[in-house]
Formats: sequence, structure tokens, C-alpha cells
Amino acid sequence: MKIKSYAGFINRQCVGLQKLKPDIPRITVGLATCGAAVGGTVIFERLKRSIEEQGLDISLIPTGCIGYCREEPIVTITHPGKPLVLLHRVCEDDTDEILRAVASGSVPFDKALCRIEAWDHLMGCTVKYGTGFDQIPLYDEIPFFGRQHKVILRDAGLINPEDVDEFLAVGGYSAAYLALTEMRPNQVLDEVERSGLRGRGGAGFPAGLKWRITKEKKSDKKYIICNADEGDPGAYMNRNEMESDPHMLIEGMILGAYAIGVEEGLIYIRAEYPLAIKRLTCALEQARKSGILGTNIFGSGFSFDIQIATGAGAFVCGESTALIASIEGRTGRPHPRPPRLTDAGLWGKPTDLNNVETWCNVPVIIKNGVDWYTEIGAENNTGTKVFSLVGDVERVGLVEVPLGTSINTIVFDVGNGGAEGKPVKAVQTGGPSGGCIPVRLFDTTVDFESLNAIGSIMGSGGIVVMDEDTNMVDIARYFISFATGESCGKCIPCREGLKHTLLLLNRILAGKGTETDLVTLQDLSETIVATSLCGLGQTAPNPVLTTLAYFREEYDALVKS
Amino acid sequence: MTDEEVCGTKGALNQVTVTINGREYSAEEGEILLGVAIRENVEIPHLCYEASLSPSGACRLCMVGVRKKGKTEMTTSCTLRVTEGLDVVTETPEILRHRKMLLELYLAEAPKSEVIKSLAARYGVTKTRFFKKAEPADPLGNKCVLCGLCVRVCNEIMGGGVISFVNRGPYTVVATPFFGENPICLGCGACAQVCPTHAIEIENPGDERIMTSWGKTRVKLRQCPVCGKYYAPDILAETIYAKITPPLSQQIQDMCPDCRRKYLAKQEVLVKSGDFSGGNNHV
Amino acid sequence: MDEKTLDDIISQYDAPSGRLLGILGEIQNRERYIPRELLEMLSAKLKIPLSHLYSLVTFYSFFSLQPVGDHRVTVCMGTACHVKGAAAILTTLEQLLCLPEGVTEETRSPVTTEDNAFTLEIARCFGACSIAPVLRVDNHLYGYATPDGLPAILEEYGWRKHED
Ligand SMILES: Cc1cc2nc3c(=O)[nH]c(=O)nc-3n(C[C@H](O)[C@H](O)[C@H](O)COP(=O)(O)O)c2cc1C
Ligand code: SF4
Ligand code: FES
Ligand code: FES
Repeated sequence: MKIKSYAGFINRQCVGLQKLKPDIPRITVGLATCGAAVGGTVIFERLKRSIEEQGLDISLIPTGCIGYCREEPIVTITHPGKPLVLLHRVCEDDTDEILRAVASGSVPFDKALCRIEAWDHLMGCTVKYGTGFDQIPLYDEIPFFGRQHKVILRDAGLINPEDVDEFLAVGGYSAAYLALTEMRPNQVLDEVERSGLRGRGGAGFPAGLKWRITKEKKSDKKYIICNADEGDPGAYMNRNEMESDPHMLIEGMILGAYAIGVEEGLIYIRAEYPLAIKRLTCALEQARKSGILGTNIFGSGFSFDIQIATGAGAFVCGESTALIASIEGRTGRPHPRPPRLTDAGLWGKPTDLNNVETWCNVPVIIKNGVDWYTEIGAENNTGTKVFSLVGDVERVGLVEVPLGTSINTIVFDVGNGGAEGKPVKAVQTGGPSGGCIPVRLFDTTVDFESLNAIGSIMGSGGIVVMDEDTNMVDIARYFISFATGESCGKCIPCREGLKHTLLLLNRILAGKGTETDLVTLQDLSETIVATSLCGLGQTAPNPVLTTLAYFREEYDALVKS
Repeated sequence: MTDEEVCGTKGALNQVTVTINGREYSAEEGEILLGVAIRENVEIPHLCYEASLSPSGACRLCMVGVRKKGKTEMTTSCTLRVTEGLDVVTETPEILRHRKMLLELYLAEAPKSEVIKSLAARYGVTKTRFFKKAEPADPLGNKCVLCGLCVRVCNEIMGGGVISFVNRGPYTVVATPFFGENPICLGCGACAQVCPTHAIEIENPGDERIMTSWGKTRVKLRQCPVCGKYYAPDILAETIYAKITPPLSQQIQDMCPDCRRKYLAKQEVLVKSGDFSGGNNHV
Repeated sequence: MDEKTLDDIISQYDAPSGRLLGILGEIQNRERYIPRELLEMLSAKLKIPLSHLYSLVTFYSFFSLQPVGDHRVTVCMGTACHVKGAAAILTTLEQLLCLPEGVTEETRSPVTTEDNAFTLEIARCFGACSIAPVLRVDNHLYGYATPDGLPAILEEYGWRKHED
């Protein structure tokens, strides 16, 4: 049924709330890709069968991922009037015990990680669960959660991503409703500009400015595109955002389309994310059925729809001009800019391209206002950023903190240092374009400028922790090998330069390198950075350059031996 | 979309003044800087630029320094559009350093190319530190630098789509589909003409043309009914003649250019002398 | 795949954006590779030069021009998996499947066992980095993989240890 009025909107919120807080117990299972792979699916199926067989009055719901991936599979239990209880490291054999406890109005305490009494979904909606089960720690008392500031991940793992009603229940689409019915497009644009929101896809370009440039271009047709290519290996926040809260992305894009004045949007998503594609497709369909996408959204007269285009396995297609080529059915070989996408993008029309997380930031800005938003984060780096904290770290997972948080806080306070207590040696940020940061620089704050200053980049937010056993020359080799395989092959510095960098590193690692090779390595890297056509080549040598700068002794040891 | 929309120079083109290496030149606004340099005989090395084809920016040799607000930024001159007051330098220590490194990479990629060797030598690069490609079965004779001119001329001008880039990264090559014969090849040879390193091989033994580098694609040649010479690919002639209106008469269509010229000259003499019997209105 | 199926797939993609990769992806998913005849048929139907389609399928790693084995084993070589020992997973798989050591990394293209039962390949990142190292068999992901645990996974797909 299409939402055409405020009453209709509120009505659907109530329907959703009834599902989120039913009069019967509710069990959810974290079923994002990661949770599903470590047993979530099996647990869900087992619970489903048992509930049916035993005729239990329990609502069983799939959710996304709450971010504490190390503790998965994660199951939550909510009894009416009681707090939401998070169970961790659940396995298949625990299901009977879970159901027994739930049927008797309790929870399996030995599996409980923490409890949530009330949750602020930030969109003008706090879900009050209730009190009780005091022996279970509160959510904020868990160090992994306590140091985080969830804005983008506010719904992840708590709502059913395949049910638009639950999203509506937690205040979803209320920013879009507000904007479309009460704000002028320019007001929306102004808010985003004043919020200082910067692109989360890597370069940190001001989102509002890019919107304005696109808006001011004269053209019969324009597009907005969401970059969901998430190519950086080791980064998976965009996947989780789409799998756990797909409507948040859609809402952000609706707001952008309204502000810029666009009727057609696209999500370019990598083929390696089948579940995200499935959930997005489902969400788009539900949004259309509810009158949230399509013609005359909310009866406001504004029309907009979103189409999905899938990639086919090419990292370089995250680059803006290659992405366009790919959507248009060509090989993803970048073009020199200008023309920029905002001049001539998809099918030659002005196009605004933003990362998944950039879009996801928009609804909270519109809903809560610029002052609220700019309180979070640092000067010129407002808001939060989601990082995937992976590798040799104790608490692996998705971490959302205000921009300007130090690496120390992320790796040690949230992540609890090296896995199995081993000392941490370095982190690698920004994927293949980023650099390796030694532990002595860990008080560097994570913001666009500070990371650039030490030779790395924010990138999409992957933080790969490496412990003392890691050979940094091997890490450099690993990244160069990755970049060589993903180079499009158009320009020589990247195509040939990276190949020879790889050969040099292989030789050095085999103990056959010389001092001269190190000089060549440095010179070649500098030429690749300076002369490559696109961002891939321009940044691919960063892992070599940073390891040469910060871990020179490891190279020296290899060429001397 | 036209180029004008891209560079935003609608309407009449303005004359502007640009500075290259401290000397002023006049050019049309929106013109490609490399084009201006070529016209004015300012040396900028380049491998992938051709005025009639879309700019590619692949070879990276044409990088120049653009001076703005006291800073010099490197950019490719084949994609740089001229605006009033543009100030560029073609050689700085930095540009030269990178150019030399690129040339070393080219020497490794196309070790058999004399063109590359002499280009490199101009910049004092006679040796490469890098492992040289040595592919005995390379249909392009270890001379291809992947400038993409052949692919562009085939697709953009001839409308052929016979060849394309195959694979990616260091494995990229230019080839026909499945590396085989491509029946849609017109045999026009524009690819070989435009290739800066003379990598593309074509043979003309007797009544056919063999596109040796393109999967040995065979193209039938047309024989001149007058002199008996095999002079042009059959299907290329058909394609071109099909586009000419009004159509040529069959009689002269099959002739080779030499014989046709002779024939037409003869006709003209006849026309002038008042004998209209052999004339053809269509010509 | 017959001509009718191909027509159906083509008609599903009526919007120009994302069309070509969408159609090719569909063919790849159904046939598990891109047969040459289908590529030629597609070229004729869409009036797109075969060279263009060939360029696409050799550029994007999702497409394969060679038929693959009954089961497709994909090892993640992303950063998190690399740090957590993906190399050992790959080498062990090569040994178990009797493939030449190092062949998968070197060729960067799928390799199929002699009996056509398995195809081994590498991927960039499944976005399941939290449970690294990760491998995928057909559509099933396995996290926290260890070399010792691999035979048991392969056995689920009919693999048996060789008696030498
Ligand atoms: C090689 C390469 C890969 C990229 N991959 C991605 C990606 O996976 N996701 C993304 O959002 N941006 C990626 N980018 C950055 C995009 O080109 C673009 O800057 C970004 O999507 C703009 O969105 P934003 O302004 O919201 O950050 C990549 C850039 C390069 C050069
Ligand atoms: S830098 Fe690399 S990926 Fe970018 S255009 Fe050049 S070869 Fe292609
Ligand atoms: S001529 Fe400019 S990059 Fe090749
Ligand atoms: S690095 Fe292997 S799943 Fe991401």
C-alpha cells in the first residue's frame, strides 16, 4: 500500500513497531554474509524448524550484523517488557537450550554478551525495550561497543533488513518525508553543504559541493550513482551497510535526488556481493510498493527511481570514469579528467557519484540538523566513519567512531590489540592505495588530512592490523601483486611499472636483491605515482613507499644477507 | 555529446594566447595543447595522440608542467585544452626524470622497436634496467606499446570493430576475437598506417591480403580488369562504393586508381572534342 | 542455452545502463562459463562487434571462457585473508587437488582438475574479512579456514583422498 499522507506514514510506523516489539518473544539471528557463513544460516533454519514443530509462539527474524564479527553467530532475544539480550558465539547445538529458555520467559545466561534496555535510532525514535536480566552487562559496558559512536550502524543487527516496516518503525524515511513535503530542494542541499559531509569513498571531497556542481549544470537529464564497488580487500563496511540497512542508502539517495533534481539513480555494486544485491533488490521493490520510490513519492509530486547495475570483478571499476564505462557496457579503462562526471558522466550527462556511506550519512543530517551533526567528529572532518578492523587483531569487526579518533583508540581500546596477545607492529589503511603505519605513529588521528600526511590514506576504511610476525616487504609485495592484477593496462607506468616493481620485490624477497635495486624501486615508484593516468596507479606504490620509509631495516636486511 | 559540450566552449571559437616554455603562441580556445605544440614545432614526445581520433592519454610521454599560482603541476598535453593565459613548460628536471623512466619501461615492453630505441636515445636512454619482453610468438613482434591508436582508428573512423584490447593489466594485448581470423576486417590497413612503432604486419601475396598480426585474417583483393593488378581489398571497395552517391558506373568501379585516372582523362579529351558517346553523366 | 533463453535474458535487460555486463553475467551464472557460440550469437543479436564482447569477457575476471569443473573452489586473496594465512590455504588446495603448485596465483585464471571435478581460482575479497581466511565452494562460504580443515570441506563435494 502506498504512503500518501502523514497519517499513512504514521500508520506504517505503528505496523513496524508491532513487528519490532511484538507481544510475543522475538528472536533474531544475524544473517549478514559473515554471520551466515559461520553458522547463522544453520542456526536460523534449526530454530525455525523447532518453533514450527513445537508450535511455539515466537517471532523469528533475520537481521544484519551488529558489527562484533568476532563474536558471531549473534542471536538476540527480546521478551515483551524486557531488555534486548545479545547472545554470542552461538552454535547449532545451542538452539534447543535457547528455545527452552525463551519458552520459560528467560534467556540462556551463559551465552549472553550484553543487554540493551533502550536504543536510540537517531531518527527521532528511541525503542524502549524494558528492564530486567540485571546480571547481564549493559551494552555500553562491553569495551568493543562502549568506545564506539554508532550513527551509520544505528540499525544494523537490530532490524529486519528485508522488511521496510521495521525501518519505518525506527524513524526510517522520516527525513525523506520531511524533505519532500516541507523543504525546498535548495534547503536540503544547504544542509548537506553546511554539515561538512565529505565523501567516504576515499578522497574526502565535500559531498554538498559535488551535489551543487551537478545541480547547477544545465542538462535535460542528470543522474546520481551510488558507488558500491567496495573493491579494497579488507574493507567490508559498505557490504554490511547494504545488507543490514538497505533502506538507509535508498533514503539518502532520495534526499540527494531531490536536492539535485534528478529522476534516475543507479547503484553500481560488485558481483561478489550476492546477498547485498538480493537485499537491495528486495528493498527497492518494497519501497516502490510503499510509494517511497517511483512516481509521486509520498504524494509530493517528486518522482525518482533507482536501478541496480552489477560489476563483474574489476577493482579499477571503483574509479569514477571506469565505473561509468562499466555501466555503459565497456571495459573499465579510465579516462583522463576533465571532463569530470559532473560535466559529462553517465551517457554523457552530468552525474553525481557518491560512496554508499556518503549517501547513508544524509538522512541523519536532514533529520537532526547541521548543529547536531557537526558536534560529531573533528574540525573539517565531521561525522563518524565505519572502519573494518581486521587482520591480527583480537576483536575483529566493524567499528564506527567519530572522525579524528586516534589509531591507538581503534586498535587498542576497541580492538584490544594483537590477536592472541601478540604485539602489534603496524596497520595498513586505505587498501591497495594506502600505506603501512608503524605502531609508533598510532597516535595519528584518523581523518583525511592526518593520514595523508603520513603517506597513507583513509580510503574506504579498511584497517588491517599486522602483528610482529609480519614481514613488511612481503606485505608490500602482496599489495603490488594485487594492484598489478587489477591494473586496467591502459597506461604504461601502471601496466609495466607495477609489473617490474613486483619482479624487483620478488628478487629482493628471494635474497637476490641489491642496494641498487632499492634505489630503482624508489625511483620507479615515484614515477608511477607521478605519471599514472588514474588513482589506481597514482596510489598503488604507496605500500612500497611507506614500507621503505618506515620499515627500511627490513629491506636492508634482505639485500645484505 | 560533442566535444564542445565537454570542454564548455560553445559558440564561436576565440583566439587565445598561450605560453610554452616562456614563448607566446596564439591558438584557438579549447584546442589541444599538444596539437598547438606540434604545429609550432615545439618538441613534446608522444605515442598515442592523433588529431583525428579521440584523446586517450595512455602513453604518458607527453606530460608537461602547467604553471599556476607559483606551482607547476604535471599533466598530459594531449588532453589539455587551451585557455587564455595557459602557461606550460615542456621540460623540467622532474618531467625529464619521469620521462626517462617511462622510456626505460618502453624499452622493456617493446624491445624490438627501432622507433622506441631512437626516441629513448633522444633523451639519453640507451639501456633499460628492466626485464625485456621476449615473446617469440608475438604477432606484433615485441614492438607494440599499447597506444591504442589502431583500435581507435578501426572503431572510430573505419567503424570496423575488428580488433580490441584483450585481457587487462600487464597481460593486455591488441587482438582479434579469440586471436583468430576476423571476417569483418576490411583489410584497409589504417591500423598499420597509424601505428607509431610499425608493429602491425600486413602481407599482399597475389590475390589476397593477409593481416598477419590480426590472426592472419585473409582479405580478397580486387583485380583491375584493365591492367590485371590486384589493387585493393574487395570488401573495402564495396563498402566505400556503397557510400558514394550517385553510384559509380560498374565500368570504372572495378578499375584500379591508375587505370581509372587514365580512363577519365581520355574521356575528358573525348568530351572536349565533342564526342559524347562514351561519356557517363554520373562521373 | 538455446536461442530462446538468450532472447529471454536479453529482454530482461531493457534499460541501457548495466545492460551488457548484466546479460553476460546472467550467461556466466547459468552456463558457469561463456561459450563462444553464445558470445557470437549475442554479437549478432545486439549488433555489437564480437571484438567488443571479447574485450569485455577477457577484461572482467568474473567471466570465464573455459568450462569449469563441477565445483568451483574460490580462495580469497584479500588483505585480511593474506595476513591470516590465505597462501597456505591455496597451496594446500593445489596439493589436495593435484594441481601444479603456484599455478593459480601465477595464471590468475581458474584451473580445473583433470577429472573436471573442481576448478580452483582466487578472488579479491568476499567482504567476509572478519572470518578470514575465507574460501567459497560454489555458493557456500567457509570462514576461519585452516589447511587441516580443507579435506573435510572438499569431501562434502565428493572429493576423496588419493591413494598413491
Ligand atoms: C582504483 C580506484 C578504486 C576505487 N574504488 C572505490 C570503491 O570501491 N568505492 C568507492 O566508493 N569509491 C572508490 N573509489 C573512489 C571513487 O573514484 C570516487 O572518488 C568516489 O566513489 C566518490 O564518492 P565520495 O565522494 O562519496 O567519496 C576508487 C577510486 C580509485 C582510483
Ligand atoms: S593507472 Fe592503471 S588502472 Fe589507471 S588507467 Fe593507468 S593502467 Fe589503468
Ligand atoms: S600522447 Fe598524451 S598520453 Fe600519449
Ligand atoms: S580479505 Fe578475504 S574476505 Fe575480505
